[in-house]
Amino acid sequence: MRAAIAHLVRRHPEGGTVTLVVLISLTFAIVTGGSWLSTGNLQSLSQLTAVLAIMAFGEAIVIATGQIDISVGSVSGIGALTFLGLAPVVGSGFGLVAALLFGVLIGGINGVFVAFLGIPSLLVTLGTLFLFQGIGYAVTSGFSFAASNVVRKQFIYNGFGGGTVAGVNTGVIWALTILVVLQLAVFEMPVGNRLLAIGGDAASSFSRGVNVTRIKFGVFVVSGVLAALSGALDAAFIGYADGSFGAGMELSAIAAAVLGGCHLAGGRISLIGTLLGAFILRGIQSFLIILGVQPQWYILVVGLIVVLAGLADRTLTRLVLKR
Amino acid sequence: MITGSDGQSRPAGSPKKPLISIKNVGLSYGNFQALTDVSVDFYQGELVGLVGDNGAGKTTLIRIISGIIPPTSGEVYFDGERIIKFHPKKAIDLGLECIQQAIGLCDNLSVGRNYFLGREPVRRILGLPFLDKKKIREASAKVVHDFGLRDSVDVDDEIALLSGGEKQTFKIARAVTFRNRVIIMDEPTNHLSVRERTRVNELAVQLKQQGLLVIYITHDIFQIHRIADRIVILENGRKVTDVPRDAMSAEALEGIIRDGSRTSTKEPKVS
Ligand SMILES: Nc1ncnc2c1ncn2[C@@H]1O[C@H](COP(=O)(O)OP(=O)(O)O)[C@@H](O)[C@H]1O
Ligand SMILES: [Mg+2]
Repeated sequence: MRAAIAHLVRRHPEGGTVTLVVLISLTFAIVTGGSWLSTGNLQSLSQLTAVLAIMAFGEAIVIATGQIDISVGSVSGIGALTFLGLAPVVGSGFGLVAALLFGVLIGGINGVFVAFLGIPSLLVTLGTLFLFQGIGYAVTSGFSFAASNVVRKQFIYNGFGGGTVAGVNTGVIWALTILVVLQLAVFEMPVGNRLLAIGGDAASSFSRGVNVTRIKFGVFVVSGVLAALSGALDAAFIGYADGSFGAGMELSAIAAAVLGGCHLAGGRISLIGTLLGAFILRGIQSFLIILGVQPQWYILVVGLIVVLAGLADRTLTRLVLKR
Repeated sequence: MITGSDGQSRPAGSPKKPLISIKNVGLSYGNFQALTDVSVDFYQGELVGLVGDNGAGKTTLIRIISGIIPPTSGEVYFDGERIIKFHPKKAIDLGLECIQQAIGLCDNLSVGRNYFLGREPVRRILGLPFLDKKKIREASAKVVHDFGLRDSVDVDDEIALLSGGEKQTFKIARAVTFRNRVIIMDEPTNHLSVRERTRVNELAVQLKQQGLLVIYITHDIFQIHRIADRIVILENGRKVTDVPRDAMSAEALEGIIRDGSRTSTKEPKVS
């Protein structure tokens, strides 16, 4: 029996998260008398989940190599401000490209310091978290960017978070697309094998000829670009962004990944689990809003969840590694 | 287990040109000098025993040869060509497989994925490289079977589920099946039973007979003296002895190692 459970956990790290999703959905639906399951709430929940998930996917990839990226909240802010700030001037297409390039750039900066200079990722990304939050505030200096009516009609703007397809926000479609691409890259391609190997044992991977530096650099670039995209998608949905955009999102992104079965020690991640983790966090958030609870309590709940998920994670890992 | 099949057999003797040539190599970890002015040649088709006390610098020397760390000074030549850029990938591409002492396996990966790590077989779909999981499974399962690991080993299981001895056997199996020109074994018999040790020693001899260069690291001089063509002794990061096996008895060589460690403990350590 225990062996069977161990086998199940080993092959399906997101199993616990799936159970949690079902439990939470049922509970919330019952407690709110069905309004949690209303079309309106589900539509907004799916959009919120999508933008968090995209950021959390990048985080998961970084976690896979045994590092962490806590700059993603600020990077999404930069992505949002760039997109909305430039769209009225150069059009949504160029605005989006510029936002993504900033993501590549900031991710690249993180990557250089971590991969090439060997500085701990927590330290480096803490630095860029504050640096680019500061830049965000400086650029807006108390003002905010809003999408004009012209911009709101543009195809790219609608295709990237500003519009819907059959009632579904386009950000959701992007989240699912990215999930499929990353799932294939991480679990079905050599690059993914090496990425996971580095998280498991960097020195051993290196001895087998794996280019550890390049992959460590690469994951930060991926994380940066996904965070910027997440910010742009969310900004297009809201139609408005100020200097505080994305602040604190890094916590939710890390929580989503951990909740989804990603081991912070590296080497074991689940992207499907990460999507579900994002759904759970956003679900709790929307549940608290429906109940009329102060939004600050959300932070407390996230903190609790991370601690509990960490504990569960350790227990499950022990179970998996026992023979 | 291993059948010499490539017909590459070559008499064990010393051809003129060394396959690997180490010239005046020094290496320091920070300000600790682990190797000092080491020069040694290795030839194709020979089995060299690299011996010395714990901390003598044996592992450090082969970490240089297998591309993990560049030397602080001196030169390394492979097949006459000077190595400028040190990287394990380069060493592997040149045909060098090393069974590292402390590393080499990623606990979080399956047996099959560990087997092919860094050289994964792919199937191209729309030009994109996808892991050939069937090949990974079949090839690694064959190796697991051929090297006598227990039948319950599933190559899809994480390698963390293997015992220490099974992991060591697997590392040896991987190096041997990918064999090319050089096999380095760093204390390969650790974690192994007496019977398995004998098998590893036989394997080393077979590989040499197939024309490979085998560098066998151990601190057991009596064990290596029985099978090696040549014995190289390191002591405190220096090469102190380099003799054909027949030139000295195991007892005499053991005396060198013992005396070396005695003098080194008497001398004040320079830091
Ligand atoms: N990464 C390292 N950093 C600092 N010192 C090291 C490192 N690796 C080995 N050493 C030191 O270098 C010396 C030689 O080590 P090693 O080559 O592993 O010896 P051996 O394999 O002969 O037992 C030892 O004193 C060891 O403590
Ligand atoms: Mg050693």
